[in-house]
Amino acid sequence: MFLDIGFWGVQLLNALQFSMLLFLLSVGLTVIFGLMNFVNLAHGSLYALGAFAGWTLAHASGSYWVALAFAPLVTAVVGGLLYVTLIDRLRSAGPMNQVLVTFGLIFVLLDVFRFAWGDFALGIDAPSLLAGTISVGGEAYPVYRLFIIALGLFVMAALWLVLERTNVGAMIRAGVDNGDMAACLGMNVEGVFFVVFCVGCALAGLAGVVAAPILSVYPGMGIEFLIPTLIVVVIGGLGSLRGAIAGALLVGMLQTFGKVIAPHLASMMVYVLLAGVLILRPQGLFPAKSAG
Amino acid sequence: MFRQDRVRSTLALALLVAGAVYAYSASYFGKELLAEIAVFAILAMSLDFLAGFAGLVTLGHAAFYGAGAYVYAVLTVNHGVAAGFAMLAAAAVCAIAGWLIGAVTYRVRGIFLIMATLAFGQMSYVYIFENRALGGDDGMSGVPRLDLSAIGIDLSNSANFAFTLVLIAGLTYVLFAWLLSSGFGQALVGMQRNEQRMRALGLPVLRYKAAAFAIAGAIAGMAGTLGAQHNMFVSPDYLHWTTSGLVLVLVILGGLESLAGPALGAAVVIALKHEISTYTVHWAFFIGVFLIVAVLAGGRGLYGLIDGVVRRFSRSKSPEPHDGDDRRQGDA
Amino acid sequence: MATIGGKVMLEARGLSKHFGALAVTNGVSLSLAAGERHAIIGPNGAGKTTLFNLLSGELAPDVGSVIIDGTDVGRLPPDARARFGMSRSFQKNNLFAGLSVRENLGLAAMVGLGLSRCFWRSPMQDAEVVRRIEVTAGWVNLEGLLEADTGDLSYGARRQLEVGLALAERPKVLLLDEPTSGMSPEETVAMLDMLKELPGNLTMLIIEHDMDLVYGIAERITVLNYGEVVYEGTPEEVRASGEVRQIYLGDWADRDA
Repeated sequence: MFLDIGFWGVQLLNALQFSMLLFLLSVGLTVIFGLMNFVNLAHGSLYALGAFAGWTLAHASGSYWVALAFAPLVTAVVGGLLYVTLIDRLRSAGPMNQVLVTFGLIFVLLDVFRFAWGDFALGIDAPSLLAGTISVGGEAYPVYRLFIIALGLFVMAALWLVLERTNVGAMIRAGVDNGDMAACLGMNVEGVFFVVFCVGCALAGLAGVVAAPILSVYPGMGIEFLIPTLIVVVIGGLGSLRGAIAGALLVGMLQTFGKVIAPHLASMMVYVLLAGVLILRPQGLFPAKSAG
Repeated sequence: MFRQDRVRSTLALALLVAGAVYAYSASYFGKELLAEIAVFAILAMSLDFLAGFAGLVTLGHAAFYGAGAYVYAVLTVNHGVAAGFAMLAAAAVCAIAGWLIGAVTYRVRGIFLIMATLAFGQMSYVYIFENRALGGDDGMSGVPRLDLSAIGIDLSNSANFAFTLVLIAGLTYVLFAWLLSSGFGQALVGMQRNEQRMRALGLPVLRYKAAAFAIAGAIAGMAGTLGAQHNMFVSPDYLHWTTSGLVLVLVILGGLESLAGPALGAAVVIALKHEISTYTVHWAFFIGVFLIVAVLAGGRGLYGLIDGVVRRFSRSKSPEPHDGDDRRQGDA
Repeated sequence: MATIGGKVMLEARGLSKHFGALAVTNGVSLSLAAGERHAIIGPNGAGKTTLFNLLSGELAPDVGSVIIDGTDVGRLPPDARARFGMSRSFQKNNLFAGLSVRENLGLAAMVGLGLSRCFWRSPMQDAEVVRRIEVTAGWVNLEGLLEADTGDLSYGARRQLEVGLALAERPKVLLLDEPTSGMSPEETVAMLDMLKELPGNLTMLIIEHDMDLVYGIAERITVLNYGEVVYEGTPEEVRASGEVRQIYLGDWADRDA
């Protein structure tokens, strides 16, 4: 088994695919965190919303691609509404209160999903274009999963380009580094916050609709994926793209290979890693904020 | 600081008396509800001690509750251990687990602590859920109640059981009130208000945080054993994040850092939860809304309302010096 | 004023700290005798607060050691060093908001007396604690304001409380980080008088920008620039030194005390 290239190739691809999903969820969360100093715990619920909206769109239009294109928009709009009605209102009350409100939202959205889409798991079929398999070292590997990896890498590259090479990106990085100073320099901090928040929500929705064909769509899926996402953010360090990438890869690899090498310990390993980071380097591997 | 407060003590006493009376006057269903309220009141007070007074806000508190329940169930059902010893063992296990969590997370604050405890709580849930030996998804049934026949009390009688639980809740309140008035308790509150200063003054912060977690964990574990006895059954749901969330709602709605408030919060919210459940299965929606409303309303929950009313009433009778009791400074 | 010489109470040996390629503190050594009043001065960015953080344990040095009353505390965190007798006040007020002056001092006194380990007594009733609160309040001229909430105090009074918290522990070594920062001239004079009245056996290391206060209290002065000690001597020597004038006093060269 250990010398089977095909087997390990498949595991590596599985790990990468899982890492990509984690990345899509965690990058929004961590940049929002770095910029606005609060964590939207309902981020996982937006991921679930993306999957549910995707299901509805896919069945209504008969096309997965429609779902893929519009589900992130739905979550961006919902996220924007939540921001304007609830989260922004609590800015003066402090980050803790904002976090508690988002925790309340998890409960609210959970029952909204159950009410609107029922309790049972739903599924979407992968589009026919991507429904086949490819041979990886003798094993048949689903093309769709390769699509997820490609999509993740594309988003990674696009985000890197925006953050490093555009004015908007520079503003975001400035805001993460020192929000007050950026505001003093005339940056429209509120506007940037709002845009970043909505983009983060869109990415969560994208992760949801992308994951739907391979994972089952059910009301509790949000919180289940939220936990690994939070672990990625804590380990990777808040506010940085690099941290999200590093954390997602680390957690993705550990989970996937762990399940194969030591199945009984697999679920524990990632928590041991979390504990280790918390003790030794609580700011995470690549925190974006400078001291102060 | 934890000052001996008329309002707080009166509220606690009132709840105790009301509970005791209700235990013997209510319908069967009322008694069952009262027992559940008492269990959650204990759980909520332990979380208030940890999150409100020691300033360690966690979203994984249900893990201690569930761990206590399972240790109790395993010992009594699988190994025939006497209920009393099983309860003590459960509390001890949770104290150790609490100490470890507190020590591991001592450098972690605010939102990071919330995320970490949410993760560790979920880890515990998954561990129990996947563990066939503990019944997995189905849990374990046939959990016995404490045997007090030696002193002539039959706890299979729901009135007696509810009354005993209310009494234990009362004792828990007294325990925490006493603990918080001591040097240790005041050091915890000082740490909550300004950790850096307390460290600079010489307080070994790690030890205090670990101790706070250990105590809160032990009491929550004990609440777990009582919950297990009440339902006579344990399941992984005891450790689920929705349970952690429910307890947090009880504390926030009741009034963070008030000790008596969370007990009141437990009474109100658990009763409401049952009311709502008779109309719809979607009670979680309302719990979420309550939490959001409680946070948006600011203030200090139900306790804050009561306290505010009493102050205004007594100030109209005679002017009182303003008791500045601002919340913690800076970021949480 | 206490005499120089005698037992060394606080010593820093070759302390260095780098952030990347930047040497924020470079080979700084200091030695304070018991009861000495020692000031650290230097332009902004000279690394004075960093030095304090290295001494108190908030920062770990790359190289060098810190010795309090003969014990090497270099590996210990801030709380352990406090228990060895070092206490510090902060440049920005670091009080317990929402509590009264009495409760603030009470917390500090309680920790200092080891009562924070106590599970059965209420420390605010303890006679030792009460006495310490009142004596400390006397030292920092806050006896009349014991029941006041910190939010109701003037800025100057809060700075006094800031020093009071550090004193309530009865330290052997007191580190004061710009105690008069943000104060008016009158408040600064009051602070100087207050510092002069403190017990003679208390070893004091003080960072200050206000030269009146420095010359008023210090027996020895260390001048820091770019993280290094550039001069050390008595106030007279510092005042007369051409190098010091060059780098720090600058336009003040014509100023005669």
